[in-house]
Amino acid sequence: MLAEKDIIYRADPHRPSPARLVGVQPLAPEHALFQFRFEDPKENERWTHRPGQFVMVSVVGTGEAPISICSSPSRRGVIELCVRNTGRVTSALHRLKEGAIVGLRGPYGNGYPVEKMKGQDILIVAGGLGMAPLRSLVWYVLDNRSDFGHVSLLYGTRTPEDVLFKGEIAGLVGRGDLETHLTVDKLVEDGQPWPHDVGVVTGLFKYVKDRVDPTRAYAAVTGPPIMYRFVLRELLALGFGKDRILMSLERRMKCGIGKCSHCAVGYKYTCIHGPIFTYWDAMNLPEMI
Amino acid sequence: MSKRELRLGNVRVLPKDLFPDFVKGLALFGKVYAPVVRPDGAHVFSPVERVADIDMAHPRTMLSPKKYLFPPETEMYQFSPEKGYFDPPVDTAKTVLLGVHPCDINGMLILDEVFRRYYVEPRYFARRQSLAVIGSSCEPDDKCFCKSMHSEYVDKGFDLFLTDIGDAHFVRMGTSIGDDIVAANPAVFRPVEDEDVRAYKHAENCRAQAYKAQVELDSLPQILELEYDSRVWKEAGDKCLSCGTCSSVCPTCYCYDLFDRLNLDVASGARVRRWDSCLFREHALVAGGHNFRDGRDSRMKNRYFHKQVGFVSEFGRPSCVGCGRCIEACPANISIIEMIKSLREEVKV
Amino acid sequence: MAKPRVGIFGLTSCAGDQLVVVNLEDELLDIVGAIDLRSFIMAASHPVEDEFDVALVEGSVVTGEDEERVKDIRAKSKLLGAIGTCAVWGGIPGALNHVGRNTLYQAVYGTEEDLFKAREARPLRDVVKVDFSLSGCPVEKHQLVQALLSLLHGDLPSFPTVPVCQDCRFKENVCLLKTKGQLCLGPVTAGGCLARCPSHNIGCEGCHGPLDEVNFAAEAALLEEKGLPRERIARVVRNFAHQADLARIM
Repeated sequence: MLAEKDIIYRADPHRPSPARLVGVQPLAPEHALFQFRFEDPKENERWTHRPGQFVMVSVVGTGEAPISICSSPSRRGVIELCVRNTGRVTSALHRLKEGAIVGLRGPYGNGYPVEKMKGQDILIVAGGLGMAPLRSLVWYVLDNRSDFGHVSLLYGTRTPEDVLFKGEIAGLVGRGDLETHLTVDKLVEDGQPWPHDVGVVTGLFKYVKDRVDPTRAYAAVTGPPIMYRFVLRELLALGFGKDRILMSLERRMKCGIGKCSHCAVGYKYTCIHGPIFTYWDAMNLPEMI
Repeated sequence: MSKRELRLGNVRVLPKDLFPDFVKGLALFGKVYAPVVRPDGAHVFSPVERVADIDMAHPRTMLSPKKYLFPPETEMYQFSPEKGYFDPPVDTAKTVLLGVHPCDINGMLILDEVFRRYYVEPRYFARRQSLAVIGSSCEPDDKCFCKSMHSEYVDKGFDLFLTDIGDAHFVRMGTSIGDDIVAANPAVFRPVEDEDVRAYKHAENCRAQAYKAQVELDSLPQILELEYDSRVWKEAGDKCLSCGTCSSVCPTCYCYDLFDRLNLDVASGARVRRWDSCLFREHALVAGGHNFRDGRDSRMKNRYFHKQVGFVSEFGRPSCVGCGRCIEACPANISIIEMIKSLREEVKV
Repeated sequence: MAKPRVGIFGLTSCAGDQLVVVNLEDELLDIVGAIDLRSFIMAASHPVEDEFDVALVEGSVVTGEDEERVKDIRAKSKLLGAIGTCAVWGGIPGALNHVGRNTLYQAVYGTEEDLFKAREARPLRDVVKVDFSLSGCPVEKHQLVQALLSLLHGDLPSFPTVPVCQDCRFKENVCLLKTKGQLCLGPVTAGGCLARCPSHNIGCEGCHGPLDEVNFAAEAALLEEKGLPRERIARVVRNFAHQADLARIM
């Protein structure tokens, strides 16, 4: 049974707080960055989250959906969400104009174990929209850079057009304190300028495998289900322990607070015990990957 | 005061001929709901209109008292584009639930844990605190296996508990509210005599021997793990209609859906919470189109694992209370008793 | 913002779903006030048929005219919704699809001549792209209103995809299938009707059509166990949704 200290008392955990859409930026086809600020200044002051956590976003009258936070807690001011237009709520979000009021509640989930990751090498592997929760981690690590060892980011997308946060990523490439490598499945047209790799994300491992000490490193991996299979194989081959591989899992969610049971996987709630799971936890839960 | 008098200080006897007066006296503590027999023969928890309609001994009502704590469909909030989501309407009308069996009281205790853990759901507890619970003994039938689930007896979760001892009810007081009810109705209770204690023991012995159905709980989580890929799931999945009946009638199922319902101004409306079921196809379907539990067998397995493995590892007991409702109501005649028996057979190699 | 241009159309059907629109009474004025209703023959003359933001189409595709009509509507509409079980599943006009039109002509008109150039009834999705569906025979008023409000709000209509059984349980109805051995298609039928028929002791005949994934085989086996002949089960299933995976129960 859970100890009293683990019970989070809040007035009404299902109730979204009004938040204003203060900025929208297109990122890639069907993907945009949404910036929110609570209407109540006290809530903005109180707000804090861990990289890897998510919020429940309500488009008033349409409904609610879980979206991972892509801004870093080390950069306060707005809550940023990178959203793909894929369902009823997300497509309603994409229709909203700056200034619109939405409902926001959270943050939910466990987030990355950043305390445990301190002093360790960090290998970040992102595929497609998986960059969203990992962007939060990237900036957290960079803003607390002295806490970590060697840090690298391997990022794969379908085409150069699909790269999220293009300007920001371009700025990361060539930073001395972060080793960034990009790849795409294919170029949209031959001869398109793309000074990076072409091929699957596992093809980028060759650049970093001698720079990372798997016995004192964490790998944070997020991407489509198919990507996990190959990346996990690669990480295990490098010598990563299963509890040193961190995955962010997607599930259907309605409540975000460990009740509605849609996200239940085996004996765990993705919204409470996840969405960040070690590979060890994930492989021991049925239907996890 | 002798030790024995002290021990028996929180018990009384309610002669059955005074039961109508007792029910009348309950009105002081809220609107009274009890298992009543409908003209079509169904037993349902309903407002009591005539005491003669009450049938507390019948093994089970169609829905459990869950419906009062966590109604099938609730408006959680109103919304408007300017104000967002506001004004949670909570019904806190004083209510007396009379005739709640031990399985259902245990069901409520389990729901308490679910709605308390991680984040407290205030709506549930507002309803909970407006309820007075008067438990009652029952006569187990061939679908009752509460004894196997250690839910046949309660020592908490009730304000009063009535055990049928023939021409009277043996009354245990569980809370000071129960004590208040007794104090407010002095004429209907009498002190406990030695004879009553003997009758109580006898009634409990008879009930213990009346159980026909049994589910062996020993090592069950381990057996379910071992039989994860058993043909038993596949066969049950072939029979299951995914109608969600088991979830609705279950006193401890709490899956729900949340959605917005618009008013005619196309701007304001209400956020609605509605019971859901993990047996429904879309339960684990994500926006991209992937379904993490696509087969009926995997959905049914999820339900069993949730109740008999996950809950055990978290709370030290299964979330099943053995009320037998899912067995009685399943149109496909799937029985948890038979399922677990079959799975146990599979382990014997 | 310009009011959305809406057209309401009927193909081969009884026009019962269009009648539900006319019968909205309490809601009709609000809804008509919020839209630019350009074509709705049942309620207004002089339709304007150039472009529609939303077309609601009732009925199944039975004649060549139906097919041309729905293709034309599709070409003029941003969103096309199938309204009613005929449009979603083929409905009653498809109940005897398996018999063949000339046999039916013979039975009704005493000739096998192709009097109406009628073919087997098809749901709209067999002919055109359908953006959303609302089944029911006729559609439920409360669902139709929510669907229209969703569209006005800018969302595609969405409803809990649950079987009729769920509302039966919510109402604590005695299960007609389990307890009374009646032919009830509740477990395999899309809910939304608030268990209208079972609440009156009438077994569900499946007028909303089946859910996406249903276990017809198990339902049929159960009904047979209760002594209902397979042909009768098949007939009831075919009544509204001849397309629904009949192969598995035949």
